[in-house]
Amino acid sequence: MIQSIAQKEFVSTLRDRRFVVLSGLLLALLLAATLVGRASYHTLQQERMVAQQTVNDQFHHQPNRHPHRVAHYGSFAFRPRSGLSFLDAGLDSYTGASVYLEAHQQNSVNFSQAQQSGSLIRFGELTVAFVLQVLMPLLIVFLCFSAFTEERETGTLKLLLSQGVSMRQVAWGKIAGYGSAVALVVGPALALAAWLLFGEEEFAHNADVWARLALFGMSYAVYFFLWIVGAVVVSARQRHARSALVLLLSCWMLGCIILPKATANLGATLFPTITKAQMDADVHEAAQKGINGHDPQDQRSAVLKANLLKQYGVDSEEKLPVSVGGLVMAESEAYTSKVYQQHFAALTRTYERQNAISTWAGLLNPYQAIRPLSMGLAGSDFAHYVHFQQAAEAYRYQLVQRLNGLQASMGYGDKERKLDAATWQAIPTFAYQAPPVGWALGYLLLPALALLLWAVGLSWLGLKMIDKTSVV
Amino acid sequence: MTYLLEAKDLRKQYPDKLALCGLNLQIEAGEVFCLLGQNGAGKSTTINLFLGFIEPTAGAAYLNGLEVAANPLKIKQYLAYIPENVMLYPHLTGLENLALFSSLAGFSYKESELVAYLAQAGLPVEAVQRRVGSYSKGMRQKVGIAIAVAKHAKVLLLDEPTSGLDPKASNEFSELLRQLSQQGTAVFMATHDIFRAKEVGTRVGIMREGELVDVRPTATLNANELEQLYLTYMQ
Repeated sequence: MIQSIAQKEFVSTLRDRRFVVLSGLLLALLLAATLVGRASYHTLQQERMVAQQTVNDQFHHQPNRHPHRVAHYGSFAFRPRSGLSFLDAGLDSYTGASVYLEAHQQNSVNFSQAQQSGSLIRFGELTVAFVLQVLMPLLIVFLCFSAFTEERETGTLKLLLSQGVSMRQVAWGKIAGYGSAVALVVGPALALAAWLLFGEEEFAHNADVWARLALFGMSYAVYFFLWIVGAVVVSARQRHARSALVLLLSCWMLGCIILPKATANLGATLFPTITKAQMDADVHEAAQKGINGHDPQDQRSAVLKANLLKQYGVDSEEKLPVSVGGLVMAESEAYTSKVYQQHFAALTRTYERQNAISTWAGLLNPYQAIRPLSMGLAGSDFAHYVHFQQAAEAYRYQLVQRLNGLQASMGYGDKERKLDAATWQAIPTFAYQAPPVGWALGYLLLPALALLLWAVGLSWLGLKMIDKTSVV
Repeated sequence: MTYLLEAKDLRKQYPDKLALCGLNLQIEAGEVFCLLGQNGAGKSTTINLFLGFIEPTAGAAYLNGLEVAANPLKIKQYLAYIPENVMLYPHLTGLENLALFSSLAGFSYKESELVAYLAQAGLPVEAVQRRVGSYSKGMRQKVGIAIAVAKHAKVLLLDEPTSGLDPKASNEFSELLRQLSQQGTAVFMATHDIFRAKEVGTRVGIMREGELVDVRPTATLNANELEQLYLTYMQ
């Protein structure tokens, strides 16, 4: 019975010119967003790879230099885009693309696309995720708002039910039929995305990207299911198609526009972030409490030197097998790095608290559940950004400490000497390894749970309400 | 004796109106009961109660011996329903509509059988593959009749079924009802058409303001007498 009704809804929908026009438009948008997103991904990825290769080559081809000079020369870490970010750019356009890695300080990730683009980016980008999250629900609303109201208004519902079908079976049939119609619009775009993605050597055998894409598709399937069930339930509970349409459009506006903005503003108000100037001042003040590697008069440096003399059983710096300057630099780096880590961690916690307000709102609003889920699976959310930032900082710290170690091993009078250029070629360059999907899922449990709760709750409650709906 | 249709003190009270007050009625197999009455008299309420679409305030409706309110899904396998204005799915053809409704009733017919049912109901063969959106009201009504006939139900519930049919099609429908009643189908038909009621009915009832005020065998009256009786009650 359910299958017959589903087939009838599917065929009727395909023969409805309004649906064909609307869905054709949306399919074209989805395909365009997929192709444009992929082209943009390629351009940016290529730019970053070339830039990373260039700075790596420049680092390796430095002339004979003192290690601390090399530490100040530094390097750059460019954030590679994740394979699925062309489907959901997430925060990628607003977070930085590269970070300058140098001695003594942890720099923030800079040069975001938003910084370098025109004002148009403020209106949002046309991504596959935008079409799926915001525009597809609109298509579903227009498709389903009259699911029951029209049947009731024309009288077909009575004829249908007189055949021995229950309201619940009719509802499931409609949900399945509309679901097939929606799949017909979304399917080709996701198939194109998969074809584009796995047509490339880089991703063809990458199980992680496969898993992410599969979960991405499943998440959206649940999201569309929710909208379809919601629209069908509203249509069943309203007496007239017009009132069902108004109610559903209100839900769309509230869920996709008003609530996300409101919760973002609430998060920023409840957990304000400090300004960059304030953070710089705080870090500078805290760093003063540690050893200053560039100040020979620093009292704490003198204590360290005295301890070294005692440790090696010598009475002057000249007799030490290590460079005091190199060890002071290492000590100073360990301290300032700790200071930066603490301040960056505090800032990250503030952002995470702000984001948590929106994520918890996913329990009230499915749009705010699918959004972080989609970004997280695409590898373009805040957690992935922080992962890169931390990887870059870990590399910077290891690099600088390795250079400080080289300096220390040069012994007394190191400042008058240089190390051979071949030394720099032995130092590994920055190679970022994006986290696997299992790591990402740890951050996505709440939105995934919210989406599933919505699906189960709405199906159970909605269908129960439909059972009690008056036929006449 | 088990009646195919039975109402026992059936009552329906809406917040602002008493739609049906204590209806008692029994209809046997092969009987065609025609219910006459003005708009709002309670005819459609009676049909909706037999269909299980509304709950009675008091009393009970029975179909094939089963209480309708307690078996809302099961009783539907014994009945077929034709509303006053059959509305079908406009994007499907007449054939597809009949196939859909038949499959929901548990029947799986071949295309030739479906065409035969539509033809039996009077739908031109060349129209069966056309979308229902282009059908006239009469053509839709004929598809509705085909849906009811294809269900092979024990009970037919008809709410002004000949509305929109031309005289020829109405006569063909009357003939079809006679055939079905001879095969043992019980027919309950709400109508305004006194002459059609006299022609096909075995009994006729007159309903006024939710009350069944008179029931007569049609054989005891001619059409004019029935009209006079009806007008008397409606004054």
